[in-house]
Amino acid sequence: MSDLELTVVTKDTDRPKLALGRRLWNAVLPVALAVLLLGFAAVDHGVLSPANLLNIAQQTSYLALFAMAQTVVILTRGFDLALGPTVSMVSVGSALAMAGATASGHGAAAVLLAGLGAGFALGIACGLFNGVVVALLGVNPFVATLGSYNIAIGIATTLSSGRPVQGVPAPFSQIFYSGSIFGVPAAIAITVAVGAGLHLLLARTVFGRSLYLIGTNPRAAAVAGLPVKRILVATYVLCSGLAALGAIMMTARTGSGEPNLGGALSLQAIAGAVVGGTSLAGGRGGVGTAVLGALFITILSNGMNLTRIDGYVQMVVLGAIVIVGVLLDRLRQERSQ
Amino acid sequence: MYVEIDPAPAEPLLRLRGISKRFTGVRALDRVDLDVRAGELHVLFGENGAGKSTLINVVSGTFPPDEGAFRFGGEEIHHLTPQRARAIGISPVFQEFSLVPSLTVEENLFLGREVTHGGVLRSGEMRKRARALIDELGFDLDPSQRVDDLSRAHQQMAEIAKALLGRVRLLILDEPTASLTERETGRLFELIARLKSQNVGLIYVSHRMREIRALADRVTVLRDGRHIRTLDAATSTDGELVELMTGRAIDLLFPAIAHRPDKVMVDVENLTLADGSVREVNFHARAGEITGIAGLVGCGKSELIRAIYGIEPATSGMIRIDGLPYELPTPRHSLKRGVAYFPANRIAEGLALSRPIRENASMTGLDLPSFARFGVLRQAAERATIAGIMDQLQLRPPNIERSAGALSGGNRQKVMLGRALTRELTVFLFDEPSVGIDVGAKLEVYEFMKRLVEAGAAVIVVSSELPEVLALSNRLYVMHQGRIAAELTGTEKTEQNVLSSFFRDHLTAEVA
Amino acid sequence: MNTALVAAAPRHVISLRSIAGRIGLLPALLVMLVAGMSAVDAQFYGIINVLNILRNASLLAIVACGQALVIIAGGFDLSVGAVVALASVVTAKTMAATSAAFPGSNGLIIASGVAAGLGCGVVVGLVNGFCVARLKVSGFVVTLGTMSATAGVGLMITNGIPVYGMPELFVKGFGRAQALGLPTAAHVALIVILAMVFAQRRTLFGRYVYAIGGNVDAAVVSGVSIRRHIVGTYVVSSVLAALTGILLTAQVGSGQASFGGDRMMLQSIAAAVIGGVSLRGGVGRIEIVAVSALFLTILGNALNLLHVDSRLQPVFLGVIMVAAVALDELSRRSKPRV
Repeated sequence: MSDLELTVVTKDTDRPKLALGRRLWNAVLPVALAVLLLGFAAVDHGVLSPANLLNIAQQTSYLALFAMAQTVVILTRGFDLALGPTVSMVSVGSALAMAGATASGHGAAAVLLAGLGAGFALGIACGLFNGVVVALLGVNPFVATLGSYNIAIGIATTLSSGRPVQGVPAPFSQIFYSGSIFGVPAAIAITVAVGAGLHLLLARTVFGRSLYLIGTNPRAAAVAGLPVKRILVATYVLCSGLAALGAIMMTARTGSGEPNLGGALSLQAIAGAVVGGTSLAGGRGGVGTAVLGALFITILSNGMNLTRIDGYVQMVVLGAIVIVGVLLDRLRQERSQ
Repeated sequence: MYVEIDPAPAEPLLRLRGISKRFTGVRALDRVDLDVRAGELHVLFGENGAGKSTLINVVSGTFPPDEGAFRFGGEEIHHLTPQRARAIGISPVFQEFSLVPSLTVEENLFLGREVTHGGVLRSGEMRKRARALIDELGFDLDPSQRVDDLSRAHQQMAEIAKALLGRVRLLILDEPTASLTERETGRLFELIARLKSQNVGLIYVSHRMREIRALADRVTVLRDGRHIRTLDAATSTDGELVELMTGRAIDLLFPAIAHRPDKVMVDVENLTLADGSVREVNFHARAGEITGIAGLVGCGKSELIRAIYGIEPATSGMIRIDGLPYELPTPRHSLKRGVAYFPANRIAEGLALSRPIRENASMTGLDLPSFARFGVLRQAAERATIAGIMDQLQLRPPNIERSAGALSGGNRQKVMLGRALTRELTVFLFDEPSVGIDVGAKLEVYEFMKRLVEAGAAVIVVSSELPEVLALSNRLYVMHQGRIAAELTGTEKTEQNVLSSFFRDHLTAEVA
Repeated sequence: MNTALVAAAPRHVISLRSIAGRIGLLPALLVMLVAGMSAVDAQFYGIINVLNILRNASLLAIVACGQALVIIAGGFDLSVGAVVALASVVTAKTMAATSAAFPGSNGLIIASGVAAGLGCGVVVGLVNGFCVARLKVSGFVVTLGTMSATAGVGLMITNGIPVYGMPELFVKGFGRAQALGLPTAAHVALIVILAMVFAQRRTLFGRYVYAIGGNVDAAVVSGVSIRRHIVGTYVVSSVLAALTGILLTAQVGSGQASFGGDRMMLQSIAAAVIGGVSLRGGVGRIEIVAVSALFLTILGNALNLLHVDSRLQPVFLGVIMVAAVALDELSRRSKPRV
């Protein structure tokens, strides 16, 4: 009904209280994380061992990267259901390119370049497809990326004949998996660097600002002259590009191109973003929420593994966590309204 | 339409005492009393935000009051729901239509009150009753047409028919004539007279003096959520009503503007829009004057300036800005050419409510080197510029980091105006500039326009408020059904002439 | 002057649009596909292939009908694939347990198994509906969560191993039986489709689902109870998914946690969307969705017969889906208002 009257709201009086309430709500997830860790540690002391903490950090870095990718599109009220298949496709594509380059007798550097080039090209192509279909054709992001989900799966399994692609050279795995920078394992270092860069992009550039404005009110952004379509296309390309990077890191870990590498990643990445506090309604979230959500999910499954909780039970727990996470977020939003 | 006749009721049909309603900390209604007698038309009079909509929503059961007594037909009413309100004979006609666009007229008429047999719809029965009702009302409506295929005026008729289906004792009309033509309005007035003679009580929200004069028995004035006074329509004067509504005398309202028409800045030739809302329109606006566009809701006047700015697609015609042809306008290019647009709906199209005022004000200027270099924001410069602009516009409190959603309607409009000061502009398109803001803020908006025009800008004002466009504009276009019906200047620029230009069109239509 | 002319023009456009909407592109495509395939490959209209198509199309159509209902009301149900799996293993487990306790009493065994399977659907549907309607969590996230949880429960029960021990009568006499030349699944699907079409067109429930999806505010002020009907759509969707799980179990002869899954979920959404159900809510007809399910099944079958690599087939599904919605979107954009 009267939108105007309902929202014409001045609320200076209760601002301090609100700010405090919001801060408390924001602390929920980190506190839950600490409780979770301590709880698992009480059952199994191995949980807090340096080796396992490093392990957690390493595991988190992959999911965090994908959750960041997903967050970028969710900020604009989008989705990328095709993220998982994109990962599979990039994995297969880069492995094939490297195997091919090796077979035709190129040097190590050329082989690496071929792998990276093929991987990012496939990822960016997928992002362009999603972006064009969503932004220019006006197709709902769910349907658009469900379409590319199927297409990417088809391409990944066809290219690989459904089998792992061998021939990933050792230097590739060395750089993107087993190597380290200043003693920090490669995966962690890459994710931290990308996270920092992405944070700057979101907070300090016109592009980042535009994502928040478009997600908060797409029509207002268009009326204000922001190039909404162009930005949306770029957003999906960025998302798929980050997914491609993650795929390259995972390929380096497994040492082969895997057509099933992406598996349930799309939904896991959405779950990570959402549990961390990224709003599916758009305009709220960032690198912090993505990392927090990924950390939470990783610690949960790591702890459940160490405390020997059945893998199937873990699926049930994860499902419940996603719902509770979003419910908490909704309550938090209601508080701050 | 079944109407129950009360045998000379001892107390009024509806009696509200001390009704209060708060929304997240703001008192939308503050201890409001209201009596509506059977057979009476009771006007609710007040500015936007005075609490009229909240009050009629409480009466029709959309949301419960926080406190207060509600008596209807001599009975105490508690826990009213929309369904129960209709069951006891309270029927609202909302301005925001309660119609489902993808359903037909007939399906909408019966929505929530379908004739069923064990959960199975009895379509034949409903069709018969829908036809009978529409015939009785004399509306030109096809019950099997989908609502999203109807014009706004026809949707309004469907909405009224929906309210009159079943037993009605209290009918609530919220600005029902906003999209109706003279002829359709006349038919509605006949219907109202008939309902009154059948002892139906009516609550009528309007701020059109002519209608109040023609229809009202009593008028209740609301201001800032409070009941100011209830008067007899016959003994009160227009000036008295407006003074009660605004809390001050009216002659202050419009500033005297010195128009100095200069070269043509906007020139539109034979413009037709893709959705047909504007057809073969010729129109121009000069620098140094305010060009007004008046017309009913849905006549195409908003669409015309939106097409110039680049939000509505045109199929044919030519737009020239400052003499240069402007093809395929987009908001981005319009701003670069110095054209700014201020939308009527600042919530849907203006502001990103959860973002800070600063970001909202700089939104149209992000392509400028003063806000960003090589795509990287200059945050300190942004903060300083926006703080300066908001200080100039007297934003209170002057904190530009608050979210835009925390602002009143008037302050939101100031944020929108602030955008205009971030860059060089020569053409300003205002779409219903004073909707949803209080008198003080209106005055500031008018002063803002005055400054723009006197500094040599071209200003175009589209408004459904006749007094507003009449007072502000130097030249006034009247639009009707997508076409320019008249162009009025100087002494021709009167309310009478504007209204008769709708009427003339209708007469010729009927002759043809 | 010429208002009459102007008024006449849009009406013409409307009639064209409604004719296109009523008949649709899909049946035409379907006829073309069938005709083309019959000409190319005689195997296509062989009895074995036709029965195969009918069986698969029926299963997909049942799930898609429920999915369509949820989408029309403005929601999403990602959990249908997992419900198919859960219903399958619960039905099989229950039958095995009952037949151990009451050997030979086939009626009781089958009834208890079917009831338990459908019961799973009711429970998951109620959870989905409760979270969406009461707690106001977005349908996408809720069903994402219940999808994971439901699939987990299914795997927990079986450890991923097929469950046997169902009465012969259930498998041979029901699941693999044929009546009037049609497989059981086709009969069930026909009944479901007819019932759903009736519900959509002639019952309060169907009317209110349209109203809620079309304009929820209007439905509220018109006195429609929103929550009850939203819960209803999720329950119907889950129960139909459970029914599909039971049919699959009877057909295959074992309960498996690998039935349904993401593939079934995605296909049901694809069938609904290609069948003209709008993700904006309020628009969509069950009979077209059923045709769309048949179309997708035949398309898959045709690609197999044409020896298109089965791995490449998802590409076709993806392209068709995006194209269908893009076309719909573009035609909506060019629609004139009166």
